Amino acid sequence: MTETDQNSVRVVLPVAQAADADRYRQLVQRFGSPLLVYDPQTLRTQYARLRNALPNVGLYYAVKALPEADVIRQIAALDGGFDIASAGETQLLLQEDVFGRRTIHTHPIKKDSEIRDALRYGATTFVVDNIGELEKFKPYRARVGILLRVSFRSSSAIVDFSRKFGCDFDEAPLLLEHAATIGVHIKGLSFHVGSQCHDAAEHVHAIQRCASLMRTRNATDQPPMSVLDIGGGFPADYARRGTDIDAFCAPIRSALGELPDDWRIIAEPGRYLVAPAVKCITTVVGVSDRNGIRWYYLDDGVYGSFSGQIYDHASYPLQTLRDGPTARSVLAGPTCDSIDIVAEDIELPELTAGDLIIGHEMGAYTAATKTRFNLLPDARFLNLEALPDS
Amino acid sequence: MSDFEETLYDSVAQKFRIDKLYFEDKTEHQHLMIFHNAALGRVMTLDGVVQTTEADEFVYHEMMAHVPLLAHERAEQVLIIGGGDGGMLREVIKHPVTHVTQVEIDLSVVEMAKQYLPNHSAGAFDDPRLNLVIDDGMAFVQNTDQQFDVVIVDSTDPLGPGEVKRCLNPGGIVVTQNGVAFFQPDEVTQTYARLRPHFNDVSFYTAAIPTYYGGLMTFGWATDNTELRRQSSATIATRFERLGIDTRFYTPDVHVGAFALPRYIQDCFDRD
Repeated sequence: MTETDQNSVRVVLPVAQAADADRYRQLVQRFGSPLLVYDPQTLRTQYARLRNALPNVGLYYAVKALPEADVIRQIAALDGGFDIASAGETQLLLQEDVFGRRTIHTHPIKKDSEIRDALRYGATTFVVDNIGELEKFKPYRARVGILLRVSFRSSSAIVDFSRKFGCDFDEAPLLLEHAATIGVHIKGLSFHVGSQCHDAAEHVHAIQRCASLMRTRNATDQPPMSVLDIGGGFPADYARRGTDIDAFCAPIRSALGELPDDWRIIAEPGRYLVAPAVKCITTVVGVSDRNGIRWYYLDDGVYGSFSGQIYDHASYPLQTLRDGPTARSVLAGPTCDSIDIVAEDIELPELTAGDLIIGHEMGAYTAATKTRFNLLPDARFLNLEALPDS
Repeated sequence: MSDFEETLYDSVAQKFRIDKLYFEDKTEHQHLMIFHNAALGRVMTLDGVVQTTEADEFVYHEMMAHVPLLAHERAEQVLIIGGGDGGMLREVIKHPVTHVTQVEIDLSVVEMAKQYLPNHSAGAFDDPRLNLVIDDGMAFVQNTDQQFDVVIVDSTDPLGPGEVKRCLNPGGIVVTQNGVAFFQPDEVTQTYARLRPHFNDVSFYTAAIPTYYGGLMTFGWATDNTELRRQSSATIATRFERLGIDTRFYTPDVHVGAFALPRYIQDCFDRD
């Protein structure tokens, strides 16, 4: 199966259990629709699973996946760190009393003002991937620790990051040399094999090549490198195949086991932690038959919570609360644009206006990439452990 | 409450227990805290960096005020740039100066310090010799008609050296705070390069302030009178005794010795 097949598979889950269905309906009754319902317990479970799967790896939550204050608070309470990439994310962390010391700034390309803002906030770890970017750190060289991002293309990743960021692996020694010349300390390497990886083969390959480069470098009289950032790529289970993160990480664990004990290994998980912690509840607003196919119009779509279907190439598992004989159907979003289709050619029972559709695994890169198109109201974000009165 | 861990450097950091948080101001532009620490008393931090503590501020303020004022001998007009916590003013007005202008960019800093760091100013803002100006320091020195005998730059933003020179009486002295040279040698290099074209004598003196991590802090020194930093301990002592003030760090011997620079600091500006 090719990578595209694997992730464009649209899963329609069996009808929701009666108790769950009641709860979804009650939430909509109390808080309206559409909703993004966040369950901190699921986040804690995911964090614990990854923690166990990657012991001794510093976990820095990729804030961009779901930049919500409730999520930040939970990660902070679990003693996690934060991977930030913008002044806005910095501001969010500051509001939640997360000090800069617990963050790493991972955007490879920055304005000088962004470097200064991040330093003022207290982030001192930065990522670079080219000479121009290295030069930007010359004035701050006494203060910062730099990670050099190298690129490895993943054959199994859905979203390939190696095209836009990361220096070619063969270029890395040259950049390390240049950094030494201008007095900027590169404390380690970082890589991103891509998102939603099928297996950890690319991670292992990248770990081994980075380790080899670091060992070679550390055998010279240059200050030793001691940090390896293995990025993200830990998958969410959109296809509902039952991803076993422990099994996924086993080869990574074994590759990391070969590294010197005094190196610090860090990772930047986002999707794996938050995707299953959020469900989208959306309501059928209208129904129409077009050429023998039943169209259901929802109050949330690809310009809103389902934006990840466009930007992130995700297909979220969907679920109805109603049973019965199914027919070929389309789920359309609320905007005027014809691209605003949540799902096509799926088998659904007959629904009527007011029925709910539940989107699962919708925490990562969903609300984060929503647009203002049509000025439709955003799905309301609810924390199940801190529901408001109304 | 959590600990405060300073974020000046990636690879080393000093950590302070926050025993009680008195004040916090979090905006997009700055993060300011004033808290109590058992060993240091009240601590003020700005953007992850310690600014001042009740326990060790005397080192900084005494050295930055008394060294130029006693070296000058007859300083009457004094300009303080920054120094919103009032500690510098407190030391300056111990001298028989006739007038002090203090330029602080933000009145709220002064108000906040009066409330939460009252021991720093210890009433100094009420001194009748003070003219407190709320303005940008650079703008002030560009536009003022006043002339000063001593200018104390208690601010991290460098002023234009030409502009400072313009409002300095002949033989006047400018002192600047210049960071911890061990970690920030560039600051010494840059300050020297900026001041040298405008003054006959540019150098540095030092003091170790415990919570400015990294050893000796350097203070920039600029004047046209090359004799002022070469006065004997006895000469300084005569003036100091006449003044009859209590100090905890400053002594005439410390004053004279502070101009003796370790080689690594000399190398920052005098590489020949």
